[in-house]
Amino acid sequence: MSETAVLSIDRVSKHFGGIVAVKDMTFEVQAGEVLGLMGPNGAGKTTLLNIIAGTYSPSSGRVHFCGRDITGLPAHKLCHLGIARTYQIPQPFTSLSARQNILVATEYGGKKAAGMEHDKIFDLVNLSEQKDMPARDLATVSLKRLELARALASNPTLILLDEIAAGSTDAELPRILGIIEEIHKMGKTVVLVEHVMKVMVEAVDRIIVIDKGEKIAEGTPGEVMKDEKVIAAYFG
Amino acid sequence: MEDFLVGLAPPLIKGILLGGLYVVIALGLSLVFGVMKLINVAHGDLVILGSYFAWAVMGWLGIDPFLSLVAGVPLFFVLGFFVQKFIINRTFRISLDAALIACFGISIIVQNLCQAIWTPFNRSLLTDYRLLTFAVGPLTIQLRYLLDFIGGLAVMLAVRGFLRRTYLGRAISAASQNEPVAERMGINPNRVYSFAFAIAMACAAVAGVLQGLTFSFSPTSGSPFLIISFGVIILGGLGSMAGTFIGGMVFGLTQTLGAYFSGGSLLVQSIAPYLLVFVILSVRPQGIFGR
Amino acid sequence: MKIPRLTTLVPVVILVLLALFPLIGIPLNWLNYLFSFFIYLALATMWNLLAGYTGLIMLCPHAFVGLAGYTMAIGTWVGVPFQAGLIAGAAVAALFALLISYPVFRMKGIYFAIGTLVLPEALKAWFSFWRPVGTAYQGGGAGYAVAGVAGFTLGDKYWLALAIAAVSIFVVHIILRARLGLGLTAIRDNENTAASSGVNIFRLKLSSFLIAAFIMGIAGAAYYIHNPRIQPTSGFNISWLLLPLMATVIGGEGIEEGPIIGAAIVTFLRFLLADYGAWSLFIQGIILVVVVVVMPQGIAGLLRQVGAYRLPLRLFKAAEAKIHKT
Repeated sequence: MSETAVLSIDRVSKHFGGIVAVKDMTFEVQAGEVLGLMGPNGAGKTTLLNIIAGTYSPSSGRVHFCGRDITGLPAHKLCHLGIARTYQIPQPFTSLSARQNILVATEYGGKKAAGMEHDKIFDLVNLSEQKDMPARDLATVSLKRLELARALASNPTLILLDEIAAGSTDAELPRILGIIEEIHKMGKTVVLVEHVMKVMVEAVDRIIVIDKGEKIAEGTPGEVMKDEKVIAAYFG
Repeated sequence: MEDFLVGLAPPLIKGILLGGLYVVIALGLSLVFGVMKLINVAHGDLVILGSYFAWAVMGWLGIDPFLSLVAGVPLFFVLGFFVQKFIINRTFRISLDAALIACFGISIIVQNLCQAIWTPFNRSLLTDYRLLTFAVGPLTIQLRYLLDFIGGLAVMLAVRGFLRRTYLGRAISAASQNEPVAERMGINPNRVYSFAFAIAMACAAVAGVLQGLTFSFSPTSGSPFLIISFGVIILGGLGSMAGTFIGGMVFGLTQTLGAYFSGGSLLVQSIAPYLLVFVILSVRPQGIFGR
Repeated sequence: MKIPRLTTLVPVVILVLLALFPLIGIPLNWLNYLFSFFIYLALATMWNLLAGYTGLIMLCPHAFVGLAGYTMAIGTWVGVPFQAGLIAGAAVAALFALLISYPVFRMKGIYFAIGTLVLPEALKAWFSFWRPVGTAYQGGGAGYAVAGVAGFTLGDKYWLALAIAAVSIFVVHIILRARLGLGLTAIRDNENTAASSGVNIFRLKLSSFLIAAFIMGIAGAAYYIHNPRIQPTSGFNISWLLLPLMATVIGGEGIEEGPIIGAAIVTFLRFLLADYGAWSLFIQGIILVVVVVVMPQGIAGLLRQVGAYRLPLRLFKAAEAKIHKT
């Protein structure tokens, strides 16, 4: 494991009954890097995020975060250590206002250095106008932004973004790219699962392509797009 | 050794036969649980209502409890259909918790209706064959326990036939495993729920008669049956008839063998099934069949 | 001198007025009904904390009531005064909650509900045979009398119950405005998100579970000071679950004033239907079902929806402004 690795996945597998969702996965994410995870539906990307965030524990293999073995730790401990995530389908606290939603993350996010002020977070994700609305009254687009805001509120070192651009219009993409850029500038490490190619190509430093739970390619966006295995997985 | 076997045989046989009663009760609970993921906490009370119905018909007309089922089964079926249609379906739309609370309401209503009409005293279905025994080789078998077993087998086969052979039955099975399939079959889920509840009530009517012949009952004696039959379905698995049958036997045996090995302790006999349910839930929090 | 706000003053005035009742010679019957009201209120408030604010459909209040009542009753047989037994009983209830917390919190949703429902049934079976003290005429199905309560007047019991109810409401009021309340609501709304936001689900659920067990235990034990004999069939009776459940749902689950309104209705119905035995609970069951079907947010929810609190609140504010001006 290299010195600068924030996250290190070492031969991780996950089975559900007889089904293998992730198989023998190994990779590292360096500090300040933006890594993209790509692959067809059901390839195991979200399962991998769930393992990193502590929703599942892996069937075998180890996960290290900033040099510490975090395999099998519960989700709240990982949040305290500095891992935050968003959900592909927004999972807000429906009865709480947007502001209270992110207050949960600041109140319970652990004893870390104070992160961004709430108002700044809301400005960044463009949710300032709706911050006092109950989450149950927010539209899906706003809920996606709330996911981001909540993830940022716990002031993480590593942030896992699960398809934050899915369902957005082309006009909204520059804004999402801008947010990722902004998070990157704060020095945070990002792991990004995304289907929207434009986001993948423009935002990430490196891509890992997964198919049927296995890593089939790795490299810069330009390299990966030319890889035969990747083309086969997507179009074959 | 031979003495041991001779001593062990009666509780073994009694436990297995008694299991049949738990199978009938559990089948009703598991049909509703399968399609809605709702535990009808009034199910035990509905079984007791079935016992009282048979008891009342016996008192008025002097006919055999089994004969009373000719009226009891259709009556309970229709009652169940409407309870589901007008109460459970409406609350189920709000949330599972609301439906659970509605079931508690039904439990309160049924228990106190029984108490208001039939007093809180213990009753039993006093037929002349209730205490008959007969000998098979060196063993004595009590007829009422044998009836439980036959009843369990008959109801299980009837429900299985219904689920496999009829369109509605297949829709209920489909809904138990995977909701969208039932909807694709063009069946309104509310209708599926209503029929599932209606059949569960019909099972409760039969279970009521068997229960009333086996034990004495009062308006509040339903809750042990609820818990035991819940234990049967988490042990046996949803949608598996063989599993339910084995689960019923296991709970019957837990009681009779528990009593046998503790030297006839009533405490062990009554507490063993609860501990078994709690242990199963603690070890496999989602039930044995859960993911 | 700082003038206290009316919203603080009004509950205090109501509390003082209620506390004066035994002194001004109101009918004993009323004190009896108010005693029951306070006990139901404490139970319902705690049930609301769990079901309404933490999302735990906990079905074992009768385990806490029975254990606390038995601890107090048995204590009086070995020389522990009932006042100490009251606290010891509540502590035993909380200890029991602690013991079962690990297995029951592994269960989710309906499994948690049934998992908790099993426990009081098992305890009932156990206490039906257990005779720790006394002769063959005590313990087991016959239960125990609570000794040494003769000197404790109805007024004393009334004040005790009033204090328990007031404390339970105050505790929930404080929790909901504190960090704990935010975390509990987060768990109720979405357990996964709460965990990934750093909420320690187990610890928070356990806190509200222990608080509820302690207060339900003390309320139950207080009931057995007034009705000084406890049997397995009364202490572990499912009505200790059904009463708070009914009161909370009829009043409005997840709403602070819900249990107050609900407990008042349940007590009033008990008073109205006192001569009708089982029909009384039968009618309450029907009301419960009608409320769940017709207005699932309960009476308090309905009142909030139609804005019934707006006028009194406006009057409050106006009065307050006037006081502060002068």
